[in-house]
Formats: sequence, C-alpha cells, structure tokens
Amino acid sequence: MATILTTYQLSLHFGGVTAVNNVSLKFEENELRSIIGPNGAGKTTLFNVITGRIHASSGQVFYKGQDITNRAPHEIVRSGISRIFQKSSIFLGSTVFENVRIARQAKAGGSLRILSSKESLKNVNKGTWGILEQLGLTDQAEIPASTLSHGDQRLLEIGIALAGDPKLLLLDEPTSGMSPRETERTTKLIRRLAKEIAIALVEHDMEVVMSISDRISVMYQGSIIAEGTPREIQQNEMVKEAYLGKEE
Amino acid sequence: MNSIGSHRANGWFKENASRYGMLLLLLAILTLVPFVITNRFYLRLATEILIYGLLAMSLDVLLGYTGLLSFMHAAYMGIGAYTVGLFLTYIDPSCSLWLVIVLGIGLTAAIALPIGWLQVRTGGFAFALLTIAFGMMYYTVAWKARNITGGDDGLIGIPRPEIAIGNWVLGSTGDPTTAYLFTLSVVTVCFLLTWRIIHSPFGAVLESIRENEERASFIGIHVRRYKLLGWMLACSLAGVSGVLFTFLKGSVSPTMMDPLAGGAVLMMMLLGGLGTLWGPYIGAGVFIFAQDFISTMTEHWMIFLGLVVILLVLFMPKGIAGLKDHIYPSKTKRIG
Repeated sequence: MATILTTYQLSLHFGGVTAVNNVSLKFEENELRSIIGPNGAGKTTLFNVITGRIHASSGQVFYKGQDITNRAPHEIVRSGISRIFQKSSIFLGSTVFENVRIARQAKAGGSLRILSSKESLKNVNKGTWGILEQLGLTDQAEIPASTLSHGDQRLLEIGIALAGDPKLLLLDEPTSGMSPRETERTTKLIRRLAKEIAIALVEHDMEVVMSISDRISVMYQGSIIAEGTPREIQQNEMVKEAYLGKEE
Repeated sequence: MNSIGSHRANGWFKENASRYGMLLLLLAILTLVPFVITNRFYLRLATEILIYGLLAMSLDVLLGYTGLLSFMHAAYMGIGAYTVGLFLTYIDPSCSLWLVIVLGIGLTAAIALPIGWLQVRTGGFAFALLTIAFGMMYYTVAWKARNITGGDDGLIGIPRPEIAIGNWVLGSTGDPTTAYLFTLSVVTVCFLLTWRIIHSPFGAVLESIRENEERASFIGIHVRRYKLLGWMLACSLAGVSGVLFTFLKGSVSPTMMDPLAGGAVLMMMLLGGLGTLWGPYIGAGVFIFAQDFISTMTEHWMIFLGLVVILLVLFMPKGIAGLKDHIYPSKTKRIG
C-alpha cells in the first residue's frame, strides 16, 4: 500500500496552548484509520490543520508526496481531500439534490458558465443521482435540506464530501447524534467506502471504531501516544491510562 | 428513471411556457404605459421606478444571492451617472449613446474592481462596513470636487444623446415617451440577462456561498473569487441604472449617492422581497410611488416610510414577493 497523506512534526500553538503537538502520521491508501482520544485531545484541530482551515504553527502535510501545508481549503479539496465537520455543515436552504449537485459541479467544472441553466450540466446531474442513490436519499432529493432529520443531514454531508471524488475522506464524528439504526447504516456506508478510498475517522463510539478500523491512532493532549490495530490498541496500557486515568 | 426524466422535462416546459407567457404579457402592458399615462410627470415617475428597480435588483444579486450586504449600493449608480454626465458635459456632448453607455458601465466596473477585491478579503460584517466607508468617499468626492462635479448643485443641463442605430434615429432621451421606452428595453435586457446568470451554474455557486460559505470552500469553491464576480455583476448593473438615470434626468447631484439613497435602495429591495430578482422592481414601485404620494402631504415622508418598512420587516419578512407563497403554498421547485 502506498502512503496517501503524511503529516510531519505537525504542530499548532494557540497562545500558550499546544493543540497539536509534533504529530507525524502516515495515512495509507484504502485504509480506514481512526483517530481516537478523550475530548480536547486535538483530533478535530488536527483535521482542521490538515484541511487548511487553520494554519499550522510548524511542520508539514504531504499529500501524495506534494507539500500542501497551509494551502487554501478549496485547493486542498480539489486535490482530493474532502471532509465532513463535527457539526453538520450543509447548504440548509437548498434542496437535498442541490446540496450534492453543487459539490459535484465544483468538482466537474462549469462553474463559470453564466448563460446556460444549471440543469444543463448533464454529467453533474447524473453523478448527483448516483450519489443520492448510494446514500438512499433519492426520495428526499427535492425537499429542502433543512427539513431532513439530523441523521440524514449527517448522511447528506457525507454525500457532499463524496461528490468531490475524494481519495481521502476525513470524517469527524459522522454518527454523532444518530439513532442506533442510523449509526448502523452509516457504519455500513463507511465500510463500503473504505474499499475504494482512504478514510480518516474521528469517532467516539468505540464499538464502531473497533469494528471498522484497519488501524487506530490515539491522541492525547495534542500528541499521538499510540498506534496499532484495534486489538493492539485495546490492550495498550498507555491508552487505558489516557482514557481512564492512571491507577494509583 | 426514463419516465421520471420525461415527466420532468414536460413539467419544465409547462412551467416555463406559462412563465414566458406571463413575461410577454407584462412587457406588452409596460410598453403601453406611455400611451395610457400621458401625464409627463407620471411617465417620468414610471421611468424612475424602472431605473431604481434595476438598481434594487442589482443589490438583490449581491445580498439575496451572494449573501453580501452593501449599505451604499446607490454609490455605484452615482458613479455610472456622473461618468455619463461628466463625459457629455466636458468631453463630447454629441457622443454616441452606445459609447456613453459602455463608458458608464466600464468606469463603474473599473472602480468597483479594486474596491471589491479589497472588500471580499474581509468577513461579512466588515464587508458591509467597508461599503459605507467607500460609499462616503465617493459621496464626498462628488460633493467637494466643485470645479468638476458642480458640488452640491451637481451637474445640470447635461446634453441628451439621441437614440440611434446607425443612421436610424429613434428619438431623443430628452423626450419622456422615448426615454421610458428606451429605459424599459434596457431594463428588460438586464433583467433577462441577470435571470439567466442567476439560474446558471455560476449563479448556483453564488447561492451556495450565501447558504454556507465555509461548506462552499470545502467543496472546492474559491469563495473570494466568486464573491468578487458577484460584486462585479451587482456593481455593473448599478452602473447601467446610473447611465439610464442621467439620460432621464439630464442632471446628477450628490444626493443620489448619499447614505439616505443607499438606505432607500435597501428598503426597496426588502420591501419587494429578497432573492427573487423581480421583487425589487415591485419594491421600487411601491417605494417611489409612496414617497411621491406622502411627500405631497408632508415633508416628513421618511417617518411614514420608516413605519411602513418596520411593519413589513416584522410581518412580511419576505417582502411583497413573499405573498406568492401564500397564494401557492406548497409549490416545490423542480430539478433534474
């Protein structure tokens, strides 16, 4: 397997606080990598630095060997890294279809066309229906995204991210606030996606993490303290300490 | 899938056929206006409504579709108007109408470009504040550069160019009926063009920025670039309205770009309905008509207008265009 994304001694300091501390990680192609850790460990912040939402204080991010550190988010997305946010970020006032369609258009091109209708981008429409089918949202295509259930909004955001044909997908707590049934559906989707693309997953549901991850990295106070297969992580003493506190 | 597809196509045709029918009917009625309203004063008022409707629509492109607020959008109308006024007064009084139009739009766009470039580098609130800052600068220049702009008297007696295609002279912009019909034609072209642009793939990008700027950039959209393009579209259209204004009035004065004028355009747009393109024309009509009507009774007409706007914002946040939703409550948009 080839490495798709590498972070090299990546750090982020806010004033006196070190949110990301010297993180060096390798994400492999077609790998489902989970990043776990207690609240405030810096998992989301790490995603923010990788995707250009926050500038790194030091260190580098390489995507397919290319330095993408501190590039603008839209450039990073175009190179093949999509993400969903911890708090759903979708186009609430647009229809479900338009949510995915515009993301598809941003990927496929045609955004500078001003004299044709947006419906005329046939390939974009086709791709959009394909993604909606994959998500099981075709029946809701024409309703406003704001009227979707919370779980479906999370799902739609994954669809928006997928519309960019990512090679690496960053999922920040995709199942948060979902019902058990929705969680199961989303887990299945993630597992299916992981066969095609690399996925980095931040997730608090340990059952989900342990069942679908190829490898797990554990973050604690901004640093990576352990890395391994789900089994190795479950048996790691340092991880237990980080989560449960040191036994005196 | 196929049957769904053809059903959609059919629906699209039906919906658009009735839409084009309505538009043609409306145009026919508007064309007949000067032959029904023979009072010159009211005809000029109708022309003014069209011009301010265009200006309010251009602000709708900015706020209703791109999600950017400009408090001084009338300033860009002023730039277009002054450009034409100054050119016809000082440089070439018998210049071709079409060249003057191009100059008016061109200079408005040329000034809007660096300002917009700067403004889109800030967030939403700072953007709005900067529009006030730059708007006040334009206003001050128009007001204080007395030797050139005529100061607070403005430019008066600006030559009225003839409307001619080649050697075929249609009439003078000084004639109310001709001015009205000419304005109607230009405004119609601008409306159709804007409608087309807003419903294009480019327009969809603008709407995505309005809906969620961060998400837009995280699907790979260069948000600043598209904000700037939206701004340029809005300012160029405002420039067109300024050109038409000078043709109609034969004079320009700094008051057309003062903060009150900027607020008036915002009110027209909110009154008519945000994000509809046609609503602002209704808003401009109601605003200008009300202004004219109330000001015949009291010079404190702004108080009453303010009251009307407060009531509208409270009870009709979608403006007059929002009434449509009450008439056709559950009409969903077709896509595909």
